Amino acid sequence: MTTNARRSQLSVYRPHDRRSATGSAAEADPVTTQVVRHSLSSAANQMKRVLVRAAYSPIIYEAQDFAVALYDRQARMLAQAPTLPAFMGTMSFCVEAAVAGVGGEAKLEPGDVILYNMPYGTGSHAQDAALVMPVYMPDGELVGYATNKAHWLDVGAKNSYCTDTTDVFQEGVVFPGVKLYRRGELAEDILAIVLANSRMPRPVRGDLLAQVASCRVGAEELVRVVQRYGSRTFWNCVERMYEHGEAVVRAYVEQIPDGRYEATGHLDNDGIGDEPVHFKVAIEVAGSTVRVDFSDVPDARPGPLNCPLPSTVSCCRIALAMLAGNSEAPNEGHFRPLEVVTRPGSMFHPVAPQPCYMYGWPLMSAMEAMYEALSRVLPGQVPSGSAGDLCGVQYWGFDRERNEPFYGGCSFAVGQGASARGDGATLFVAPLGQSKVPAPELMETKWPLVRFERWEFAPDSGGPGRHRGGLGWDVHWKFLENVELVSVMERTREPSWGQAGGLSGAPNRFVLSHPDGGDVEIRKVTGLRVSAGSVVKIRCGGGGGYGSPAERDPDAVRTDLRLGYVTEAAARRHHPQAFD
Amino acid sequence: MSSRIGVDIGGTFTDLVYYDDETGEVVVGKVQTTPSSPERGCIAAVEEVVPAAVLGRASYFLHGTTVGLNALLERRGAKIALLCTDGFRDVLEIGSGSRDTYDLFWKPPPPLVPRDLRLTVRQRMAWDGSVVAPLVEDDVRAACATLRSAAVDGVAVVYLHAYANPEHELRTEALLRECGFTGAISLSHRISGEYRDFERASTTTIDAFVRHRMSGYIRHIDAALRGLGFPGTCLMTRSGSGSMTFHEALDRPFETINSGPVAGAEGAAEFARRFGLERLITADVGGTSFDTCLVMGGRPQLLHRGTVAGLPVQTSWVDVRSIGAGGGSLARVDAGGLLVVGPQSAGAEPGPACYSRGGTQATVTDAAFHLGMLGDGALASGLYLDARRAADALAPLARSLDYTLDQAARGIVVIVGSSMANTIRELTIEQGVDPREFTLLAFGGAGPMMGTQLARELGLRDVLVPPHAGNFSAWGLLGADLLRSRARTRVMPLDEASLGIANGMVSELLASMDDGGSGIGATLEDRTEIALDMRFDGQEHTLTVEPEHRDDCIVSSVAELGERFRDAYRRSFGLALSDRIQLVSVRVARRRALPRRTEKLSYPAARAIAPTLEAFSFARDRRCTFAARHRGALQTGVRHTGPAIVYEATTTTYVDADFSYGVDAYGNLLLRREE
Repeated sequence: MTTNARRSQLSVYRPHDRRSATGSAAEADPVTTQVVRHSLSSAANQMKRVLVRAAYSPIIYEAQDFAVALYDRQARMLAQAPTLPAFMGTMSFCVEAAVAGVGGEAKLEPGDVILYNMPYGTGSHAQDAALVMPVYMPDGELVGYATNKAHWLDVGAKNSYCTDTTDVFQEGVVFPGVKLYRRGELAEDILAIVLANSRMPRPVRGDLLAQVASCRVGAEELVRVVQRYGSRTFWNCVERMYEHGEAVVRAYVEQIPDGRYEATGHLDNDGIGDEPVHFKVAIEVAGSTVRVDFSDVPDARPGPLNCPLPSTVSCCRIALAMLAGNSEAPNEGHFRPLEVVTRPGSMFHPVAPQPCYMYGWPLMSAMEAMYEALSRVLPGQVPSGSAGDLCGVQYWGFDRERNEPFYGGCSFAVGQGASARGDGATLFVAPLGQSKVPAPELMETKWPLVRFERWEFAPDSGGPGRHRGGLGWDVHWKFLENVELVSVMERTREPSWGQAGGLSGAPNRFVLSHPDGGDVEIRKVTGLRVSAGSVVKIRCGGGGGYGSPAERDPDAVRTDLRLGYVTEAAARRHHPQAFD
Repeated sequence: MSSRIGVDIGGTFTDLVYYDDETGEVVVGKVQTTPSSPERGCIAAVEEVVPAAVLGRASYFLHGTTVGLNALLERRGAKIALLCTDGFRDVLEIGSGSRDTYDLFWKPPPPLVPRDLRLTVRQRMAWDGSVVAPLVEDDVRAACATLRSAAVDGVAVVYLHAYANPEHELRTEALLRECGFTGAISLSHRISGEYRDFERASTTTIDAFVRHRMSGYIRHIDAALRGLGFPGTCLMTRSGSGSMTFHEALDRPFETINSGPVAGAEGAAEFARRFGLERLITADVGGTSFDTCLVMGGRPQLLHRGTVAGLPVQTSWVDVRSIGAGGGSLARVDAGGLLVVGPQSAGAEPGPACYSRGGTQATVTDAAFHLGMLGDGALASGLYLDARRAADALAPLARSLDYTLDQAARGIVVIVGSSMANTIRELTIEQGVDPREFTLLAFGGAGPMMGTQLARELGLRDVLVPPHAGNFSAWGLLGADLLRSRARTRVMPLDEASLGIANGMVSELLASMDDGGSGIGATLEDRTEIALDMRFDGQEHTLTVEPEHRDDCIVSSVAELGERFRDAYRRSFGLALSDRIQLVSVRVARRRALPRRTEKLSYPAARAIAPTLEAFSFARDRRCTFAARHRGALQTGVRHTGPAIVYEATTTTYVDADFSYGVDAYGNLLLRREE
């Protein structure tokens, strides 16, 4: 396809039209606005707490693989709690699609809860199930939506986790907007379909009910806040709140010189073939508006590394909000300065039935590329690249004691990039936010068939520079029984990027050591049979450096050497200034 | 026989309260904290406020301190090393990998033990306590040589699954001593019997890190009190409520790490028990922070994990939530044109602008004083607040918001109040309770000023301002029970066999606590408390359930326990599940109440005041005439209608127009919202 032909098919995502305002920002009192804003944030925090505490699976309470938010009637974001950033920017799409799925606003009734997991509408894979609860005032007026999206352990994909799907129908059972609750009554038949299609119905049921409890708390709180201030004042304040968020982000963007800044994102492969995938992301800054251009990316891949539009937009929203959002929880206003250009049918805007099970990996890489593009105009004001992955491995088998299948696994922190402010740390990548690495003691107790052998930094894995990239580390464990395994390792080929002369850190790596002594290097694989005694050896990669290694403070080099963060050979090579 | 002295050392002021059982008198005092040597400040306060005769017949000295906390915050602790399982050298530094969601540049605090002092030892236990690899004793000997050459003060020993089988940690301790290591040794299984290696390692290194500082501090105070003729027992408040003897605090210093902030919660709990208040929310507002805690059934809510200076602490922990909102919180207009209050604070220096100590930025205190909420602004310390300076500080904010001074000041107080109310609301929702069913207990220097506004925001009716409200945290020390607690993890299905095992664990834990005398007279009754952490099989988070027990033994049946757990679950989450239940951890405590005291209240003769003043009413949204009264002049049992300002030595209470007020038979100032 020629470039011109492609251009003609572009889709431009723009924020909601402001003329549909439900109140007048000019009439809002700034103090009440601030109070309303904090009350809405607090309501979202309450939704989060209920979900975390009631959830069944560690992917919710440890990995925090969920988002919660409150929306107004036009699906504009009132508030969200700090949860999985990658999800946080998608929830408006979930609300709109879920409501459309049941036939539009007119079909909604108080007490309804909609279940929606269509990937092109949620931005995720089918396992990420959105619940949307319309919120009504006592007089029957629809004021907004309480919603959350959480990762279920299993909803009937070809495997419990997949790297090799070729269409969306292999990725799980789809609920295109169905009422899980009608007027407050649980639709037992819908729940039965969910559970009958899951390999792990018990935890899925627990997590689903926790999601419902979370929506209810959000709905009650939203009603309370509207009542507290009265509808008219409330909506005036909401409009003022959106204007505030918009002004904060625009003030930041205005400092960036106008221009088009490009970088290339990288993926090891698309899960089916083993060819590297590269894509170009451009950021255009004009005045106080940012346009992120994904038009020059490959066509949707045959394998599942395609990122549906809601997640592509989400990636841009969170990248912008984290950079320009004043370290505060964003609302609709923070997203207004943003436009996103995509090409339907491409890997950042797949269409049915293109596979998208691993949508999160192009999202992670796109965020790295966006910051790399910005580093060209804001050197040191954005961190260098991270190792760009969560180094995830999952495994399943049969738990004889409980007489049911079990599903284990976890994801890991990686080295983060250095910046003008200092060395990088070892943390989860930015789109994963408050995810937590479960403790080895906890995992061994929960899944007695794993035994950890190593949990240590890898010397020389941080990208050298004036400021060093965050260290990578080694995590090893042995399987004491036979299991089937999925590896979702990414970025084993392309390491983190450095800036201003800073170098890359070590890339991620996964080696499986068989009991007979053979080592196999693994990227992505689904359903690999692993025999008891095999050892998983994961190297979580290091972050990119900032500034020339020759400029690193000799004392900092000597400290790194003393602590074993770097070896002497590497220190002499990169930082001769410390050895004069 | 029950005279006692409480000293609470805060960031700015050291508060002292003593109770003299001969007269029933309760006397309060306040001196400036001496951050360079809080122990000297503590003793100076005792010498200044407590008459020698009272000190000479006092039975207890109760103390809450932030010394351990400050040592952590400022990283001025011992030089310590860590011995850990081979292969797991960096558990402490890798941590959880969790980051701040909105701050791209966020980094975790550095570990308490640098990597070159994290030494590995070959050994391995499994989750069930079975030995996977024996202890390689030469590794310990080699580590000992490093400890000696590095001249460390102490060492933390944290082996994987040591809570399930402590054998290797115990042997390591013996080997270190054999090799001549004389520093302090903190073994992880003694610190915490719970799983999660990073959190246990964090807690154990905190213990090792503050041990040296705490022991010097405790010994100094103990010796100085003896020198002054104090014959009684010295106690320190615990992060997990109650108090422990100095002797015990020397042994388990990490348990005192949050000793400062819990004193108010302890006081509130005693207050609730004394007056039969089933549900109480505390609102403790100081200069830099707002602290709140739920007290239900006469006890503060407990967590089994805390966070201090960004580090997890795996120990029993009073659930006091703190936000950076207090009298000194600074107000500003942000990039988007909205008014923001806190979390930055003007602190003790320069303090609010109206303190005339060089502050120029508007604070909550400046706003409140401008609005008349602090009355004539005469403080106990003799300081007079300066109205001109408060107005000058507010003026730039008012200009940029196009507000009058009153509107700007009102905005600051409203915003800070709503942050406080939101914190309380989140706390109650999390517990599955309704804030409207609670009584608010307002104390601290600025708590009584915010009480009526918080009550209105939360929809609750009654606000109590206790006696000595400005020094309430120190008063709270006086009633702290002696308490010891321990816990151990063992994940088991809830069945008869497990209950037998749990009872075995109860006996072991009690035995481990009862070692070594408490130093307390045998006249006091001990009470045992037993609790079980339970969850539905497959969940991670647990709820704590209290079984029936008799003679230190659980007597509830499996069915009863299951029912109690499901009830607790329904209350918290509104869900009824019928899934299998697991026991996760066993918790035990021994509680010993101090002797009762009979207090007389007195509000010393006060300065002359104008009978009325103009102040801003939030209920009426305008200025109006407020009555001004001394608390000591209010007649018991008589109710008045607001608005009013009520003065007492340590604080000022603001009563808005929609509230009535009066002093009850117990001397409490009760503010009640009138519909």
